[in-house]
Order: sequence, then C-alpha cells, then structure tokens
Amino acid sequence: MSNSTTDDSLITTEVQTDSNDGRAAPAAGTAVAARDLDVFYGDEQAIDDVTMEIPEKRVTALIGPSGCGKSTFLRCINRMNDMIEICRVEGDVEFGGKNVYDDDVDPVALRRKIGMVFQKPNPFPKSIRDNVAYGLKIQDFDGDVDARVEESLKGAALWDEVKDQLDSSGLELSGGQQQRLCIARAIAPDPEVILMDEPTSALDPVAASKIEDLIDDLAEEYTVIIVTHNMQQAARISDRTAVFLTGGELVEYDDTAKIFEDPEEQRVEDYITGKFG
Amino acid sequence: MTDSTESPDLTRRGGLTRLKEGTYGGLFAACAAITLLTTAAIFVTLLSDAVVFFRSIPIAEFLTGTNWSPNPAGGGQAFGIIPLLIGTLTVTITAAFISIPIGTLTAIYLSEYATPNARSILKPLLEILAGIPTVVYGYFALVYVTPALKATLFPEMSTFNALAASIMVGIMTIPMVSSISEDAMSAVPDELRQAGYGLGATKFEVSTGIVVPASISGIASSYILAVSRAIGETMIVVVAMGAQARMPEVQQALFGIPFVNPADVLLQSGMTITVAMVQITGGDLTGGTLPYNSMFALGLALFVVTLVMNVISDIIAQRYREEY
Amino acid sequence: MATENPNADGFGEVSRVRGILFEYLSFGASVFGLVALGVLLVYVAIDAFDLANASPEWLLTYFLTLVVPFLAFCLYSANDRDVTRRALVALGGGLVAVAVLFSAIEALLVPIPRLNWQLAYLFVVAAPVTAYLAYVGSRGRLGAVGFGLLGRLVGGVAVGLAVGTLFLVLDALLWFLAYTIGVLPAVGLYALGRVRSSPRARTAAAPVGLVGLTAAVFLRDVVATYPSDLIIYLWTIAIPVAAAGAFLVAGRRGRTAGAVVGGVPLAAATAGGFLAAGAGLPAPTVLLAIVLTGVPTAVYVSRVVDGGEGLAGLGLPLLLAAGAIAGALIVEALGVPAPNPWLDASFLTQAPSRTPEQAGLYPAIVGSVIIIAMVAVLSFALGVGTSVFLEEYTPESGALGTLTRILQVNIANLAAVPSVVYGLLGLGLFANLLGLGIGTAVTAALTLSLLILPITIISAQEAIRSVPDDLRRGSDAMGATRWQTTKNVVLPEAMPGILTGTILALGRAIGETAPLIMIGAATTVFRAPDSLFSRFSAMPMQIYTWAGFPQADFRYGVVAAGVITLLIILVGMNGTAILLRNRAERGS
Repeated sequence: MSNSTTDDSLITTEVQTDSNDGRAAPAAGTAVAARDLDVFYGDEQAIDDVTMEIPEKRVTALIGPSGCGKSTFLRCINRMNDMIEICRVEGDVEFGGKNVYDDDVDPVALRRKIGMVFQKPNPFPKSIRDNVAYGLKIQDFDGDVDARVEESLKGAALWDEVKDQLDSSGLELSGGQQQRLCIARAIAPDPEVILMDEPTSALDPVAASKIEDLIDDLAEEYTVIIVTHNMQQAARISDRTAVFLTGGELVEYDDTAKIFEDPEEQRVEDYITGKFG
Repeated sequence: MTDSTESPDLTRRGGLTRLKEGTYGGLFAACAAITLLTTAAIFVTLLSDAVVFFRSIPIAEFLTGTNWSPNPAGGGQAFGIIPLLIGTLTVTITAAFISIPIGTLTAIYLSEYATPNARSILKPLLEILAGIPTVVYGYFALVYVTPALKATLFPEMSTFNALAASIMVGIMTIPMVSSISEDAMSAVPDELRQAGYGLGATKFEVSTGIVVPASISGIASSYILAVSRAIGETMIVVVAMGAQARMPEVQQALFGIPFVNPADVLLQSGMTITVAMVQITGGDLTGGTLPYNSMFALGLALFVVTLVMNVISDIIAQRYREEY
Repeated sequence: MATENPNADGFGEVSRVRGILFEYLSFGASVFGLVALGVLLVYVAIDAFDLANASPEWLLTYFLTLVVPFLAFCLYSANDRDVTRRALVALGGGLVAVAVLFSAIEALLVPIPRLNWQLAYLFVVAAPVTAYLAYVGSRGRLGAVGFGLLGRLVGGVAVGLAVGTLFLVLDALLWFLAYTIGVLPAVGLYALGRVRSSPRARTAAAPVGLVGLTAAVFLRDVVATYPSDLIIYLWTIAIPVAAAGAFLVAGRRGRTAGAVVGGVPLAAATAGGFLAAGAGLPAPTVLLAIVLTGVPTAVYVSRVVDGGEGLAGLGLPLLLAAGAIAGALIVEALGVPAPNPWLDASFLTQAPSRTPEQAGLYPAIVGSVIIIAMVAVLSFALGVGTSVFLEEYTPESGALGTLTRILQVNIANLAAVPSVVYGLLGLGLFANLLGLGIGTAVTAALTLSLLILPITIISAQEAIRSVPDDLRRGSDAMGATRWQTTKNVVLPEAMPGILTGTILALGRAIGETAPLIMIGAATTVFRAPDSLFSRFSAMPMQIYTWAGFPQADFRYGVVAAGVITLLIILVGMNGTAILLRNRAERGS
C-alpha cells in the first residue's frame, strides 16, 4: 500500500481539519511535493515556479480559473504531460521522496503507483470485470483477480449496483456509474495517490454528490488530489486547497477552511467571492 | 495501507519488459520501412533495366520515334514511343470527356442538391463503379459496347477500337472525380452560400457561381487524379482496344492546316503504353532481351508521369485545404 | 422592371427554369454511370444464365415457387401494412408498366436484343423490389434470424471450401505435426494460464509453441507414418472447431447443449467425410465444409432458441430449398423447356477446355483462393504494423515527425502507382532477382500484397484514429506501456474497421489482372496448382484469356459465366465487410 516517506524535510505543518470527519489529527507525511516547478507549452508558461507539499491521506483540491494550470500541475505528478510533445517541464516533482523527472524514472512504473480519474468517464469498451481488472492484467497480478475486483468495486461504492452484471459492458452504465467504475479501475492496483481531474463536471448533481461522498471515503486510504472548478465542491470535500491564478502561479495554499474564510491574498478573496475569474 | 519507509521503486523496468516493448516497436517500424523500401524497389527495378535499354536505344530515338515494333517478324526492331503516346492520349482525353463533366455534375448534385438520404445511398453506389475489376470493364467494352455502337452509330467501327475502351475508362473514373470534388465542395463554408442567398441568388447561381469557384482547386486536383488513373489503366484497353501501334493519318485541311480525323483514331485499334508492356510479356520474361528492357523503360515513363501528376494534384489539393 | 413602384405587383419572380433543368441534369449525371453499369450487368447475367432462352413458363414457375414465398417471408417479417401495400403496388403496377413500355419501344423504335418484357420486369421491377424487401425484412426479428442463418450456411460452406482448397498446396503432414506439438500445447498452456490466472503459464505459451513449430519442421521428414488426410483434418480442424463451438454454448446453456452443438456437426462431418471418400469425392473438403458450416449454424440456432424470438425465421433456408425443389419438380412434370446456363456446377468444377461447353473455371478459382489467402495474411500483418507505427508510435513533430510525414506522403503516392508498374516490380524483383519464379503463386501473392498495402494502411490508420483518445489516456494513466495500450485498448476497438478495410482491399486484389500478366501468370492451366511454386492462373486471368477467343460461345457464354462468378465473389466479400462495419457501428 502507500508508502509514506519519513524524510524529515518533507513533513508539513500539521493539517487542521475543517468540517471533514476526524481524520488527519496526527501529523501526516508528504505524498507529493513540487519544487520550483515550471511547465511550458512551447513558449507559453503554464506553471510558474510552483512549490508545494501535498499531505498523504488527505484530499487536496486545486482550484482556479480555467487556463490557470491546475490540470497541468496534476498531470505533472504522473507525467501524463509527457504525452504532449510541446510540453517542457523544469524543476522537481517528488513522489515518495523521489523526483519523478529524474532520468532513471520510468513514467510507466510511476503511473502504476498513481491512479487517475478523468473529467469525462472513460471506461474501456470491455466488461465491468475486465475494466476493473485492467490494471491488474497489465501488471501481471498474481493473486485472486475476482476478489480484488469485488474489493475495488466496493471501494468505489458500485458493487451493489453491478454485482449481477459483471460481464456486461462498462458502457451500459449511467454516467455516474461509469465514473465510479473508473474510480474502481484506478484503485484496483492499489495506488498510493489518486489524481482526479474535474471528476464530477460531466455528471448531474445527484451523481456528482455520490462521487463527492466517495472521495471523502477514499481519503481514508489514499492521497487524493482533485482539480475542480467548483469552489463549493472544494470547500465541501477537501482538507487543503491550492489556488492557482492565471499564468500558472500558485497564489495561496493552505487549509481549506483558511482559504475560504480568511485568505491572505486579496486576489484569492476576489476569486472566491466571484469578483475575478 | 502501511507506513513503510521504503521509497517506491520507479526506476525503469529492466530485462523482459523492455525487451518486449522494444521488439514490438521495432517490428512496427520494420513494417513501416517496407513501404519506403517498396518505393525504392520500384525505382531501382525500373531504372536498372531502363538504363540497359537506353544504352542500346538512345533516349532521343525512344522519345521521337514514330514506329513501335519490339518483336517484328522480319527483323527491324523499332522502339519509338510516339504512337504509344498517341494511343494513351486518345484514351485519356476521350475518357476525360466522360468522367470530368459527369463527375463534376455528380459532385454538385451530391454536395448541393441531394437529400442526406439520397447522398447516403448514391455515394457508396458510385464507389462500386471504381470497384468493378477492370478486366470486366474491358470485357463489357469488347462484347457489349462495341457491337452496340457499331449497330447504331458507327457501322465502320473495328472490333477493337479506342472509343469503347475510352468510354469504359471514363465511367470507371467518374467516382474519382466525383468523390474528391464533392469533398472540396462540402468543405466550402456555409456562410459563403448564405451570403449568396442573401443577395437573392438562386440555388443554381449559388452552386455554379459560388461553390464551384470556391472549391476549384479541389476540383482541379480530382481531374488530375482521374486523368493519371486513366493513363495507367491497362486491362480495359488491352481487352477492348487491341494492340496495333499506329500513327494516325495526317490530312491537309483548309489553308494547309494539318489535321487528324478523330474517327481515324477513335474507331480504329490502337496501342497505349500499358498495352505495349502487356504485349511484350507474351515473349521471354527471364530478362536480358531488348524488348524485356523496353518494358521497364515504358514502366519508368508511366511511373514518373503518374507520380508527377499525383504530386501536382496533392499540392493543389493542399491549397484548398488551407483556404478554410 | 423599372416601374415607379417596383413592388406594386408583389416582388416579381426570378426564373427557376435554368436551375430546375440543372438539377435534373446533375441528377442524371449522378446516375448515368450506375445505369450504364446496371444495363451491362443485366446483359452479362442474361448471357451467363442463358436467360434469353428461358421460356416465360419457366420464369413464372420459379417466380411463384421461389420469389413469391421469399417476398411473403420478408413482408411477414417487416410486419408493416404500408410496406406491403407499396410492394404490391410496385410489383403489380410495374408489371403493367414494363409490359406496355417495352412493347411500345419494340414496336415503335428498335427491337431490343436478347431481352423480352418478362426479363425486363425481372430486372427492372422484381429484383429491386426483392432487394428492398429483403432489406426491410431483415430489420424485423424474424428476417434477421432467417438471414443470419442463411448467411452462416452460405458463409460456412464458402469458408470450408476455401480452407479445403488451401490444403491443396499446403503440406498437410507438416500442418499435422505443427498443430500437434506446437499449436495445441501453446493454446492449452495459455488457456490454463487464463483459468488459473497464472501469468507464468501464459508467458510460457508463446515459446512452447515456437519450439513445437520448429521441431515440427525438423521432424517432418523423420516421422515415417502419418494418419490419413481425413484423420488429419478431423484432428486438427474439425475437432477444435467443434470444441470451440461447444465451449461457447456450454458457458451459456450448460454442458448438454454444448455437447449437442459441438457433437452433432462433428458426427455429421465425420460421416460425410467417410462417405465422400467412399464415393470418390474430395473427402477432406467435404469434412471441412460440413464442420465449418455446421458448428456456426448450431451455435447460432442455440442462441436464437435461447432468445426465444423469431424462431420461425429459422425456417427461411427450408422455405427456399423447398421452393427450388418444387420449382424443379413442376418444370420437370410439365415439361417446361429450361434454359441451359453457362454458369453451372460443371463450370465451377472443371478445367478450361477448347470447347465452350466443357470449359470450366476450377483451376483459376483455386489459384485465386490461394493467392488471396496469402495476400490477406501479408497485407493484414504489414498494414496493421505500419498503421500502428504511424498512429501510436511516432510523434507528430520533431525529427521522427518528419519521418512520419515522409512515410505518409510515400504511402499516398504508392496508392496512385498504376498496377501494371507493380507487375514490373514483381517481375524484376520477386520473379527474376529473388528467383521466386515467373508466374508462381508466391510471386503473385507478394506483388499483389504490395499493390494493396497502401489501401490497407490508409484504412487501418483511419480505424485506429477513430479510437477515442480518452481510452488511450485512461490506459496510459493506469501505467500501461505503449504496447499494452495498443494491444488491449486500441486494436480491439479498431479491429472491425481494420478488417473492413482489409477485405475491401482484398476485393481489389482479387480482380487485378495487369500485374498477373506482367509477372507471367499462366493464361490457362488445366490442373489446380499443387504447390506455392507451381504455375497457376487466376479468375481474372482466365477471363482475360477467354475474352480473346473468337467464338461467340466463349464471348457471350463462358466469359459471362466467369465474370458473374468473379462478381458474386466480390459482392460476397464486400457484403461481409459492410456487415462487419455496420455491426461495429451498432455495437459502439
């Protein structure tokens, strides 16, 4: 399961909880850290010198107006930006104490330790079972696949709805169910971190709220980093919130309660109260 | 969830996994390389035998000679490409008289007039025209079209003739003109049409006065492709046009302007470049003879001409794609 | 128009005459080629089936016993009053209209050769109405079941005959060894790995298979005694196919059903094989045809019975067979003169001959099947490999991006190279330089593979490009390698499209003649080829040869039969491709 690092320098200040349940009382280790991170698309800078430490087993929300670089930052963590040819990354992203942009890091090996959920549900055109077992299959998982499929579907709060139709296509599910199937798929190989890129923006409010409840549960076991454009959502589900503003600048990063009640920066207050963005 | 202290292992997978990845990547690259090798092989194969040929027959003689008889009964081989060019041009031009107007009108109908339903039926049906084996077209021309023309319009027509073959080549190349032209016409933005209607133009005026001029480069590229296809067409002409390399009779018309009676060319047998190549295969195919080498010289000429036309058509087509 | 108040009389009117004329003109142009082709096809069909000599009574008999029941089946399946009414009006009204028009033209203008109004009705009205009703009927459950069953019967026989034909040139003994010690252990190991979810067994499958195949090549001449051909086909093809069918059904319906679905066709095929051997027929081909028809049919029937809907549709093949037999009996009983078609069983099973009545297409058909099988394997493998490389493995920019663009332009240009030039390539490179032989099946297959490769690649690229990027990113994010994403996500999604494109390209290859002439394919061979390096002919080659014969019986009879045979095979292939595409579109 997740390996927290004990590297002292990465320990963050103790996290205060907001309205969320009682987790996070003890000091948590750092799951992911960015140091002096710059990202360029061609000549355009998408992330501007971002340094932040993301605590493990917490929900960290990245918010900001569109085009602010929050999704780009998320995709740096599992190096999905490698797929974009014009994208250039400078600085470090540390995962478990290791810079993922080091030369000896295999992005494929990295992604096997980090799950990702996309904006639009993207189940494979395979059966529900094969969707969840996909990560196990590509990693030549040696154990009981069916047990792990069941466990993951339960973890994604989908088991009761689909347990009788595991062999039917994942595409036959509703949008919200598809997204939970994608979450089950992401957690099946037991990653340490789950990245979510606006996971509810393509869903109706009822389905979205189910996903939000689920994210809360997931933080018991996983580090969740979620990009959202919905500030209420960030306030509801996250422990820590990072606000990015145009140009890829990390303007403020603090406990969620602090950000939403008493931000340091005027620009953040403007953004949150709707005067900007 | 354990609080273990070890760092996750993110280093590159060694051994088997990388070997597997590399093998597949290499295999696919090798497949792609075969396409390049094919082009190179065509060039080298054609060129090597053509060079041998041109050592015996000077290029100038080849290009200006008016007599083609690679395997004469009594001796006196001659390798002049002019009669073959005349045959090829006859077929190509006559075929273009059918495929270009009909193909263009078809494209206009499909793009501007046809209901979506009619279009979805007509388009695949038209593709059938290009999918019929050419030997079958040749058979149609020889066995049905020629007798029909002979019985009705041209009693003096010979059994093997250029006209019937050309008609079939024309019909076969209709879809080439129509599908590419229609793509170009469909790419014309609707705003242009709206602007035309806004000025009180009728549908006819919009179609012919706005859509066609706006898509002219795409239409032109389709013409070139269809003509290049007609130049390389083999079986229709082999079966229906016969194999008589002949120079048309040049007559003196009014004021001494030289003039060729089209009937003399169209209703008689003739020989195209492709027919000449097929005819030589009746002889020895193991190589080393002059006729054998001449096939490759003809093939090279054909290859270069069609390649150039294709490239030109591509350049023209690029332009219309850039416009919108 | 210059009045004081131009709008006093309304807005006036702009003449549309030109526009309307133009619309009709352009519509006429659109259908011109199709009508011309249609007329020619009607004539070639009349010649091939000797319909010009078919008496009206003969036509009427089969119309009533074969066509009318079929139309009734389609109408019953469509279950739409409106369609029924329209069909009856078209059939009845068409009868009157065609009869009157045809007689009028013949009386007033010109006599139309080799056509009478009954045939004109058949081609102009009855055939299109039948096609339309078949289309409408196939959308009803009943029709879908009927056509599905019919398709499996016809397709199974065709595939069975084709596979049987392939073994004319393939070494059955080598195949026996390769299957027994290579394929079977590998498949078994892989299946075991799946069931026990043991990756080690699955990984071991490929090497084990390779070792087995290599060993088979070496043992081929060492082993002294082999079972008979019939036993070999039974063991290597019939039993595995039956087992696969049984397994498929057993998973859904239980073991008994599985055993029936696998066992009955297997028993029938075995019996058929031994009976055929006794009767002097090609026993292996009979065995293969029965088992490859029987198992898919049985699986299909089991599935239909399972669904419980449209069961009556299963009667369609019976209905047609009964109609054909009834027609034949009536014709026989009443002494109706029957036409003597050129395209009949003996045409398909006999060798070419100088006398038109005895001329047959058999060696050419065998040649075509063998070449196409090789072309299919080669162009599919190369086409998929190249398109995967271009779409999945190369970036769009940078040095490699330039390479991709060069490859792309090169492929487009190769597609436009005249086929006769490919023939020269085959002659110069494969036949002479590499010594594969002039006019051999191998040379032909390599030449035609290169010829259709650009078409295969372009269509495969389109299919791969149409796989949504979401799926690729989803798989990448799971930590899949490039190959894992390609194999598990991209290729399964793109496969129907790739197969459709490949089959369409094969249709082009099967009709190509010019390259075959250039590589020196035989104009006429009298025996079916028995090795990949023997001289062979192909269907279009034979048509070309016969078209040059001066006798009218060849020109208007034998060649017409050959053309119709070639076109029917083409229609079958393209129809399969379109069905495949439609099914994939419905699936996603």
